[in-house]
Parts: sequence; C-alpha cells; structure tokens
Amino acid sequence: MAIVQPKSIKYRILATHIVMCLFLLAVLFPLYMVVMISFREGNFATNVSDSFYDLFLPRMDSLTLDHWKLALGMSYVDEAGVEHLPPFPVLKWLWNSIIISFFTSAFIVLLSTTSAYAFARLNFKGKNALLNCMLIFQMFPSVLALVAIYALFDNIGEYIPFIGLDTRAGLILSYMGGIALHIWTIKGYFETIDASLEEAAAIDGATPWQAFRLVLLPLSVPILAVVFILAFIGTITEVPVASILLNDVDNYTLAVGSQQYLASQNKLWGDFAAAAVMSGLPITVVFMLAQRWLVGGLTAGGVKG
Amino acid sequence: MAEVTLTNVRKNYNPSLLKDTLRNINLDIKDGEFIVFVGPSGCGKSTLLRMIAGLEDITDGELKIGSKVMNDVPPVDRGVGMVFQSYALYPHMDVRQNMEFGLKLKKFDKDTIEKRVNNAAQILGLEALMDRKPKALSGGQRQRVAIGRSIVQQPDVFLFDEPLSNLDAALRVKMRIEIAKLHKELNSTIIYVTHDQVEAMTLADKIVVLSPLKESAETNLEQFGTPLELYHNPTNKFVAGFIGSPKMNFLKGQLIEIGEETCKVKLNTGDVITACVDARRASVGDKVELGIRPEHLVPVEHPDSKSRLSGMVQVAEHLGAESFVYLDVDGEDFTVKAASEIPVDTGDSLEVGIPAEACYLFDSQEKAFKRTARYNRT
Repeated sequence: MAIVQPKSIKYRILATHIVMCLFLLAVLFPLYMVVMISFREGNFATNVSDSFYDLFLPRMDSLTLDHWKLALGMSYVDEAGVEHLPPFPVLKWLWNSIIISFFTSAFIVLLSTTSAYAFARLNFKGKNALLNCMLIFQMFPSVLALVAIYALFDNIGEYIPFIGLDTRAGLILSYMGGIALHIWTIKGYFETIDASLEEAAAIDGATPWQAFRLVLLPLSVPILAVVFILAFIGTITEVPVASILLNDVDNYTLAVGSQQYLASQNKLWGDFAAAAVMSGLPITVVFMLAQRWLVGGLTAGGVKG
Repeated sequence: MAEVTLTNVRKNYNPSLLKDTLRNINLDIKDGEFIVFVGPSGCGKSTLLRMIAGLEDITDGELKIGSKVMNDVPPVDRGVGMVFQSYALYPHMDVRQNMEFGLKLKKFDKDTIEKRVNNAAQILGLEALMDRKPKALSGGQRQRVAIGRSIVQQPDVFLFDEPLSNLDAALRVKMRIEIAKLHKELNSTIIYVTHDQVEAMTLADKIVVLSPLKESAETNLEQFGTPLELYHNPTNKFVAGFIGSPKMNFLKGQLIEIGEETCKVKLNTGDVITACVDARRASVGDKVELGIRPEHLVPVEHPDSKSRLSGMVQVAEHLGAESFVYLDVDGEDFTVKAASEIPVDTGDSLEVGIPAEACYLFDSQEKAFKRTARYNRT
C-alpha cells in the first residue's frame, strides 16, 4: 500500500470511478426498470404516450399498488368499478420455489460434503476416474437430457408416486443430479485443511465420523455456506427441468410460473414485474443469512504452514 | 508406562513397486526411556513413528506396547499420545477445548477432565491462555498446547514428530530444555523424531539412527545406542558421518601394518597414519577408509600428535572461541576445528597433527573396525 505512485494516479482514480459508476448503472438499470414497471399503472413495459423522462421518473399520479396486490393474491377494483382477480397463485409459486430450493440446497450440501470427504481423504479404486467423469458429465447442460428426465420420472412415478411427475420431491431428486461441481468445490477446500488435524483427532479417540463432524465440518462452514447459496440460486432460477416436470399450475415454481404472464397475445408486464421482484426476495434473504458464515481465516493457527 | 518392542518391522507403501521404506527394524525400548529417531530426510523415521502411533499400518513384523501386540489396534487404544510437527491444534476450539477434546470423547466425568486439564496447564504454564484460540498464540505456546493435549490423555508412550522444527533457534533451545524437564517429571516413555542431532544428543537416553533404505540392504536401522556410544563407537561409516558436527573427515588408504592395539594406514596422499584400531580381522593391503573428527585434530607440535597431514586452506572461519578451517587434502574436503585462532588464509598450506586415539577405521564394506581407545582433546 505504501508504494509511491506518480501524480497522474489521481486522474486515473477519477477515471476508474467514472467507469465503475457507469458499469453499476448498466447493471442496476434493468432492476430499476422492473421495480418501476411493477408500480406503474397498466400492464406496459414502457408507455409511448409518456415523455422520454417518464420512463425513468414516472409521474407520481401514475404510481399504483395494483400489480403488487395481484401478486400477493388480493383482488383490486379499477376506476371503472371492475374487479380484477389475481390471475395466478403467485404466493403459492413463491412458497413452492422456497421449499424446493431449500430442500434441494440442503440435500446438495449434505451429499456433496460427504462425497467430497471421501474424494479428499479416502483412497479407493477408480477415484480419479470418477472425479473426472463427474466433471465431464456436468459439462453437458441438463437441457439435453430433458426428454430422458421426463420419461424417467414418468416411469418412476408409476411405482413410487410421491417422486413422480408433478411432485416437489421428484423435482428435488432431479436437481440432486447436479452436485458434481459442488463436490469439486468442497473437495478443494477440504484438501487445504491439514490432514494431521484428523490424525490428531484419531489419536484423541475420535472415530472417522467424529473427526469429520467435530473437526473438519466446523472448519468448512464458509465453503458450505457458499455451496448452499450457489445451489439455492441455481435452483430457484431454474426453468427448463421444472417446466417439464411440473404440469399443474398450482405446483409451478415462481420461475416457471412468472412466464405465464407473458403469453404471446397478452403480455402482463406490470403483474410480471411484481412477481419477478418478489422472486428475488428469498435469494436476498438467504444471502443475508448466509453472509455471517462467509468468513475467512477459520483454519488459522491450527497448523504451522 | 510401557515398553515398546518392534520385531522385524517392515513398511511398504506401495507393494506393487516392491520398494520398502523400512525393513527389519528391531527395537527394544524400555519403560521410561527417551528414544530419539534420527536420520536424513527420507529415511522413514516419521513413518516408523506413525506406525507406532497407528496412523500407518505395519506391512510386516510385530509391534508390542506393554505386553500387547498392537499391529491391528486403532490409535486410540494403543495408549499413545502424539505431538505433530505442524501442532495440529483444532483451530475452532480454544486452548481448554483443545485439551478437553479427547477426554470428552472418552466420556470422562467433568471433575476428572477439569483436574487433568488444569494439571497439564500448570505443568506447561498455559493457565493464562486457556480461553485463547490457537491463532492468538505464538509458535512456542501452540507447541505447548499440543503437548498438553497429549499429556491430559495420560498415555503410556509419548510420540513427538519433529516438534521443534517450526520454532526459531532461541525458542527451540528453550523448548528442548522444557521437554527434557517434562520427561523427568512424567517419567514416561518418549519416542522423539528429529533431524537435528543436537536435539538427539542432548535429549536422548538412546538414539536410533536410520538411513534411507538401499535396495540390497538387510535393514536401514544403522545403530541403536546411547549418544556417546554412537559418537565414540559407530558401527559403520554412515553413523560416523551422521553423528557429530561438523561432519567426520574420511580419507581413503590401505592397511600396511596390523597390530593388537594399533595399526598403520597408508593414505592415498602418501601419508602414513597410526591409528588405535584393532584391525586384525582384515589383512595387510586391504583397502580401508580412515575417519577423523574435525574436533580431534591437533597442532603438529601437540604431544598427542602421532601422525601428520597437510592440505591447502580453502576457507578459514574465525568465530572467536573456535575456528573452522576447510582444507583440500588431495582433492578431498577436510575440516579442522581448532580451539583457538589459527593464523591462516585461503591458499596457505596447513599441517595438522592426528592423535592415534582419535582415528576411526572402516573396511571396504563401510563397517567399522573396533577402536581400542577413546580420545578427548585437552
């Protein structure tokens, strides 16, 4: 930090800030637009009759909570006295999304942690081959397997109905196929933890499971939080698999359901925007909750490097 | 408290390569002894320790702790405590939790745990640090916590794996003395691995010298004995070269005269050296190697000086209390440790005296001949 810099650094800092501000604007503008649309009267993305500035700064008298009322499952009465009923069960979708994402992420963390432990610490035949296979299979997008996934769950459903088509459990099960990258991530983290910690635990009398649970896991909390967040975001925004496995409108996740607003003849931009903003809330909450676990230096001091 | 017995122990990490790490290790460690394993890196000394701890399996042979065969017993039931080179403290636990961990797993009652932990903390002077996390401790403190963690378990055998190698020089000396005190206090069997021969010589009741295993060798256990036994009567050239600092000088030659108490060796330089060595198992004309410790060389006018040797000074180091002169004797490096200053400089020729009692002699198989005297320079 104490490196002496030439005078021109001031202008460079200024320039950097300007570029960064522009970049931030570019990133935040779509979000701003969506929020604005969700509060604007009528179901339009833009309003041609408005002046250009109205796009960005809507007139106060055009602000409305109608879209949000619909999104929250309440009806509203417009000026003409017509009652508008909520077109879709948005709250139900949100609940579906949260349940599915939460359980998927929890199971993914559980499964990938234990398999990562096996890959990082145990020696078994075909370990490297398995690891590489997992990575390669993960490179094919799941979209390629949509037909297979559908057929698979259709069949499973005939024998075990509660994980068949159109069930939350079935969708969660299908998402669990995508843990290869998470295993790699956690395995990489485990390998940075000195194995002598577990050896010390073994001499102290810990079983391998106790060494894993009492020594390795507490040190791995940051990476588990990261994996949980990534899995949660990945699941809650996932559309292709969910859209073919779920048939009943009531079972949709928010990501699948919100597309119903944008039928080709009838684009309900306002209602869509309210639902879209709402779908961002769980991610924000999870991120804020997980943030306190995302701390570095947990393993500091344990071993001398 | 327990004795440790190893019988024909062998270790092979990768059986398909047929390359052993350790072979034919036979050790009889008595109760309460302080044993040090030394050897250059790659000789398997840490492996041997880990095999005793139960962190590595034993390929062949038998390990007994107390009177029980321990080959297939898990670490926790062997009654051993181990201190790792890297300390291996649990980073998420404070000092007290680190020390309690094992006792809690073994479901000791609260009072016993507290008593043992407090007792260990008092022995090691850790009382003021009990609620600190390892990252808030210095290297020496961490090492003490690691020792404390094994003390509370009250093991029969303590295993130390290069415990001081991560500490700075001053702290190392201090901890070395503390470990020696600890041994007196606990009076338990200690097995200690190090590559530092000062640690080995000062701490050990007995030293085990290991060498990297040669394919044809029967064993890589070179010698097992007290520090001074190893210094004065090494069984072979490897031990002679490994024990002692600076390293022993070796010069090639052949036997020209063999007596009961002494023999004469004609070096390749042409010098004839008289040595107090019983070489009667060899015959005149055999190729031998003469060993002389740098600290045993004397000025030519010294009364002990029986033979002499000259070389060209390559470097002279003057440390005040002593001097090291590195000579080139017929192409071989030859170190002289002098008690006082020697007024020489690079390029000078220096003649040194060799007391007959100070000579070591090795045959062409590098096995030592029996020495008939010990030498202490006065």
